[in-house]
Amino acid sequence: MAEITVTINGRQVSAKEGMTILEAALENGIDIPTLCHHQDLTPLGACRICVVEVEGSRTLVGSCHTPITEGMVIHTHSDKVLATRRMIVELLLASHCGSCFMCDKANICELRKIAADLEVGLPRFQMRKNYYPLEDISPYVVRDLTKCIMCRRCARACSEVAGHNVFAIAYRGFDSKVVVDFDQPIDKEVCRDCGVCISFCPTGALGKPREAKEEKRGKPLIITS
Amino acid sequence: MSFDEIRSRAVSEWEALEGSDKTRIFIGAATCGRAAGAMALFDVIQKKLAEHNVEAIVGQVGCIGLCYIEPLISIAKPGRPHIYYSDVTPELAAQLIEDYVINDNPRPDLALGSTGEGEIEGIPRLFDLPMLKPQVRIALRNCGIIDPENINNYIARDGYSGLVKALGMKPEDVGEEVKKSGLGGRGGAGFPTGLKWEFCRKSPGNIKYVICNADEGDPGAFMDRSLLEGDPHAVLEGILIGAYSIGAGEGYIYIRAEYPLAIERLKLAISQMEEYGLLGNNILGSDFSFKLSIKQGAGAFVCGEETALMASIEGQRGMPRPRPPFPAQSGLWGKPTNINNVETWSSVSAILQRGADWYSGYGTEASKGTKTFALAGKIVRTGLIEVPLGITLEEIIFGIGGGIPDGKRFKAVQTGGPSGGCLPESLLNLPVDYKTLAQAGSIMGSGGMVVMDEETCMVDVARYFLTFTQDESCGKCVPCRLGTKQMLDILNDITQGKGKPEDIDLLQGLSKQINAGSLCGLGQTAPNPVLTTLRYFGDEYEAHIKEKRCPALACTDLITFYILPDKCQGCGICLRKCPSEAILGDKRLVHIVDQDKCSKCGTCLDVCPAKFGAVVKVSGEEIAVPSEPIPITPAKKGTEDSPESSVSDET
Repeated sequence: MAEITVTINGRQVSAKEGMTILEAALENGIDIPTLCHHQDLTPLGACRICVVEVEGSRTLVGSCHTPITEGMVIHTHSDKVLATRRMIVELLLASHCGSCFMCDKANICELRKIAADLEVGLPRFQMRKNYYPLEDISPYVVRDLTKCIMCRRCARACSEVAGHNVFAIAYRGFDSKVVVDFDQPIDKEVCRDCGVCISFCPTGALGKPREAKEEKRGKPLIITS
Repeated sequence: MSFDEIRSRAVSEWEALEGSDKTRIFIGAATCGRAAGAMALFDVIQKKLAEHNVEAIVGQVGCIGLCYIEPLISIAKPGRPHIYYSDVTPELAAQLIEDYVINDNPRPDLALGSTGEGEIEGIPRLFDLPMLKPQVRIALRNCGIIDPENINNYIARDGYSGLVKALGMKPEDVGEEVKKSGLGGRGGAGFPTGLKWEFCRKSPGNIKYVICNADEGDPGAFMDRSLLEGDPHAVLEGILIGAYSIGAGEGYIYIRAEYPLAIERLKLAISQMEEYGLLGNNILGSDFSFKLSIKQGAGAFVCGEETALMASIEGQRGMPRPRPPFPAQSGLWGKPTNINNVETWSSVSAILQRGADWYSGYGTEASKGTKTFALAGKIVRTGLIEVPLGITLEEIIFGIGGGIPDGKRFKAVQTGGPSGGCLPESLLNLPVDYKTLAQAGSIMGSGGMVVMDEETCMVDVARYFLTFTQDESCGKCVPCRLGTKQMLDILNDITQGKGKPEDIDLLQGLSKQINAGSLCGLGQTAPNPVLTTLRYFGDEYEAHIKEKRCPALACTDLITFYILPDKCQGCGICLRKCPSEAILGDKRLVHIVDQDKCSKCGTCLDVCPAKFGAVVKVSGEEIAVPSEPIPITPAKKGTEDSPESSVSDET
């Protein structure tokens, strides 16, 4: 592969042809946040968190799916880029259920980490949430769509890694969501115990069910005055 | 059969029709004409002719674009011009047969205009009418003139001569010819068509595709439908020329399923082409082979976006994917693909028929040629027009469109559908081309042009378009899925009087970032209606937010209906007509509106007799009215001669 030279944040770096902007940046120690991107999955360009400014381009471009070209001048952390990333996180948080205290995956949540990195606190918008019932009838996976950010990593992991096609996208606009079957709760009829999607989910939308009677086996909590 | 034979047969068929010794009656029967009642005319006319034992040719043609006076019919007696009649009801059709066909009175009082050789006293030439005179019809050249279901009509009017010419040239020269014409993509972006073909032609690979994008989804736009219904072969010829130049062996027409008549006529046209050897292997004896299929879209606006359209053809959910790779490198089924809009393809066939120099003679230095527009909204003459680029908005709206009805004032014109913007009165002298419209914050778009008068609230218009984009967003990328939702919610709040001063900054910030961050054109342009209304009608936003007032009196949550106590005559019409039972009063008592019950439907305002004018609609102000019905002040009683009796007449 031919080496080509690009300028990232004012620094000339060389990278291999065919690399994406994100790969070239990571290789040179520049961190770009990502949500829908995963190194084992095909790029999707859905979350737009990884957008960067490329000189000469009309809009910001997604770094996870845009290949580098010779002489490209890239800004990964310009004011415009950061403002857009913050806006995206704000938008995601405004439609997220927000109960991090109660979330099993709070400490490994990628959305929470990115929000902290970008210093986004309470969003300026009104909270617009889609509340969905918790899907816990499957013995293998618990799904809480209220926490879903539509990154579709689960759908891609299911078809590309696990070799199944359990998930799909349905509806439009704000109502769009990741569905199973014809919008049925996820169940063992369609989904087996591979658990691949759970490890790919960046938020708490997919998790392992707690073991039966887990709580009951614990010691009783007695409060004495 | 060689093409020359086909053509000479078609020409003699056309001449036989034009020179026929029978009367010819043509009915405009595109969807718009049918909606206005054109199909009922066939029976009436046939019956009337049979009654009088007159033999005549009765046929259908496409839409000539005069939507405001549909249905249209034309009658041509042997050796006389075609005379067009508008607003034809079945009764009028029978009358016309009686008067003109039987008794030879062309009824100049009812006639709209005439075409063809010869003149008839008292009837103007059709193409001298103010709506038609400034037009240059290239893409729409045959619409309303030929029978769209008869391929011979098209061939007789130079049809497929462009293809014959192209097949005699080298593929790259065909592309050069289109490049030289200056034709830009008529789907909205205006990207040079010849250049687009070149990318695809130079892309490596043996299998390539061409696609005709007929997924017309802008609110108020119907250019593609009319064109496909009125002259399908012009589009199909263009596709063949493009496919030859690119080296594509297969093509698709992606058309929305809501256009059944266009689909039916396309299918018929394709079968006619196969019959004549214009589709299939070795077209017209050349080495060029081409296959064409129709794919019906299931009604998603985003499928007008190239990558989403291709995903839809492949059988996937219509969602855009990131570019690069561009469709010219890796498109349908991963092969190089070229997509053009219906109107572009129709212009291509015209360019090859008549030459690039002829085409580039129209338009401006930067934007060559003509563009179709669908005039809709608050305008006197709604319809489909085609004008040279560079014409001003004023010429289109006031010259061709005849201005605003009912003596109202012009307020704004919306171009480019949900991706476009609203332009105010001060920009009416703006020449219509790709660059100037973009500078003004709008876009050319596919040609929707919605005119609004002073009664339109611009915040409400922005809200309407945001509702549309939010409904049609595919949900893939965050800025479009969630950002337009937040913008819509803010606009909803503003129109309901719940707006906050910081909302305007928030809208502007959101707009900027949705524009910069979205994945496809739908999201990138979705904030345009908001940005342009903020830019040109910012005072209306201010009035909604600060004064809780809708200057156009359109936002129902911000308006109030009052009955003026000094004008009310106690007639009780409003009380009886009010659907919400929100009016209190009795005979000879001043009526009042119970604001808690009022649903702001405006019925009371409509029914209050004009000579009283007692009901008013206001926004942001309060009018002192009695708290309960009181007797009408005696001083008022004698002012009208006898309100009671005149009222009882009306009731």
